[in-house]
Amino acid sequence: MIYADKSAGIIVAGATGRQGAFHIALMNEYAKTVGGAGVVAGVTPGKGGQVASGVPVYNSIREAMADIDAEVSVIFVPAAAAGDSIMESANAGLSLAVTITEHIPVHDTMNAIAFAKLHDCAVIGPNGPGLLSPGEIKLGIMPSHLFSRGNIGVISRSGTLTYEIVDELTKAGLGQSTVVGIGGDPVVGQTFSDVLRRFEEDQQTKAVVLIGEVGGALEEEGARSTDLPIAAYIAGISAPPEKRMGHAGAIIEGGEGDARSKIERLQKMEVPVASRPSEIPGIIKKIL
Amino acid sequence: MKFLEHEAKSVFSENGIPVPKGFLIHSADELAGYLEQLPPEFVLKAQVDVGGRGKAGGILMADRKNGIENAKALFGKSIKGVAVKEILAEERLEIQHEYYASIAVDRSTKEALILFTEEGGVDIEILARERPSAIRRASLPLLMTDIPPFMLRDLLGEAPREAGKVLQSLYTAFCRKDAILAEINPLVATPAGLFAADAKLIVDDNALRRQGISCNRDMTDREREAERHGFSYVELEGNIGVIGNGAGLTMATLDLISFFKGKAANFLDVGGGADQERVMHAVRLVAGVPSVKVIIVNLLGGITRCDEVARGIIAAGISQEVFVRLAGTNEEEGRSLLSERGYRMVGSMEEAVRAAVEAVR
Repeated sequence: MIYADKSAGIIVAGATGRQGAFHIALMNEYAKTVGGAGVVAGVTPGKGGQVASGVPVYNSIREAMADIDAEVSVIFVPAAAAGDSIMESANAGLSLAVTITEHIPVHDTMNAIAFAKLHDCAVIGPNGPGLLSPGEIKLGIMPSHLFSRGNIGVISRSGTLTYEIVDELTKAGLGQSTVVGIGGDPVVGQTFSDVLRRFEEDQQTKAVVLIGEVGGALEEEGARSTDLPIAAYIAGISAPPEKRMGHAGAIIEGGEGDARSKIERLQKMEVPVASRPSEIPGIIKKIL
Repeated sequence: MKFLEHEAKSVFSENGIPVPKGFLIHSADELAGYLEQLPPEFVLKAQVDVGGRGKAGGILMADRKNGIENAKALFGKSIKGVAVKEILAEERLEIQHEYYASIAVDRSTKEALILFTEEGGVDIEILARERPSAIRRASLPLLMTDIPPFMLRDLLGEAPREAGKVLQSLYTAFCRKDAILAEINPLVATPAGLFAADAKLIVDDNALRRQGISCNRDMTDREREAERHGFSYVELEGNIGVIGNGAGLTMATLDLISFFKGKAANFLDVGGGADQERVMHAVRLVAGVPSVKVIIVNLLGGITRCDEVARGIIAAGISQEVFVRLAGTNEEEGRSLLSERGYRMVGSMEEAVRAAVEAVR
């Protein structure tokens, strides 16, 4: 387990929106089954005093922190205000801001990440499903019924593809330590190498699945940075250049970041790369 | 969204970067009105968003005598398949030296990456591969309002101090415009000083609204229709339609199609929590592409309700065969709704892809 354990109180920013309220309920349902602190407060400016899915709502994170104990935030606020919410989380002393929001302008993301770094607050996302440590804590929107506790770490740029692969792992008897969706945007807070560094310090994690996509070189950077046994899958081998494949970050630009050369570079580092998601459990069993 | 050269130049000019004197024309006749204001020798530059525009015949030299004739010829052309609708008629510069300057979003450092080289006018990607040491680079957190003086000195080397002003202005434009990339190649030294001879500006699609841009030109009509429904959509060249939820899963579905030697017709990500209405629109949109012979629907969801998805597929009422892989809430109900109406249900995404590739063979 990395980033947070079950004792961490969670603040949900954007608590009164449809998504926020819905996922407060699911996160608390999960916290109940594992005996965790769960979501202790919601925050929506101007909605202080309301209740969202049974959780008290405050006008600001600072106001909430005066009443309750929290260590992390999960952010659902609309794109135009999401960068602000990351900075508010950091400024209030939270150690982690998990950002689910999609379509945040990239300059906002860059500014918010730089600000959060000054306050020692890690940012996961934006544009990701959050993280889940089976049996410990769920921060975000991952469907927990597919997960099982074990010693495989998973780091991914996508949401549903992660669930697909987690499902394959679980069915093959390979439980997970922590599954982190780092987000599908070109600029994200925690990258593959940041998460791998945490996994290296984690007693529970014995091997890591790295689920990448076309665009950029963060996958290779991550693989180069670690001694942990890793298996990789890269989505987008059939993606044409210059076209944004759903995720803002999934784009082959200036002849860089295409899947084939990514895979070649990983293989040069002796990282086994699955050609289909269904091959991953077999590869993991081999390298464990 | 990519700005055209003349648009990028006016942004750069507004931020204090000198640009050549020029006029945008929409027809050859329009040039007549500007001939007096242009110097005797000038350049006609097709405003098309294609790489290698010059080599493809998109740039013509001209003078007062042959200007209108050359403009007529250029308007009649299509450059790498793109029709010329606008031309920038611009003074010809007396080139003494060519520099390169750019600022881009760097995924790895999460900062602005500033590049400068004395060897401008060439393809920067080639230079970066062949002689990386010729390019000076610096990384700047966007929290900074200006490029600090030491960084400018490091970047410029022996280049004139005027180039530092250009870089500073380029950084201002980059920040103000929510740019992904702001590039001047070449930045030309002339007896009259430095000028941005060409200009490139790409603005973050997620910031178009606050930049006051209502319509993303880079999209096709179908892509725009998809966007109205909240889908991510990319058109490809095959005959198997693809609908998935989540960018990664949808991409992986396309990859499996090519793994099994099929060809995908499109990428369509319906997004999270798709309901009946959205699924119906997605299926109809993909079915409307003439080349689509069969469709794969691959939805895996915690939140997505499979009965809603099934109703959406049925409501679309399309003629092509649909292979459906559903997993998530109310899975059984969704499956039985579809089976009752004769739809092919499959257990996994690999099965769905295999069956679809088989069907078009």
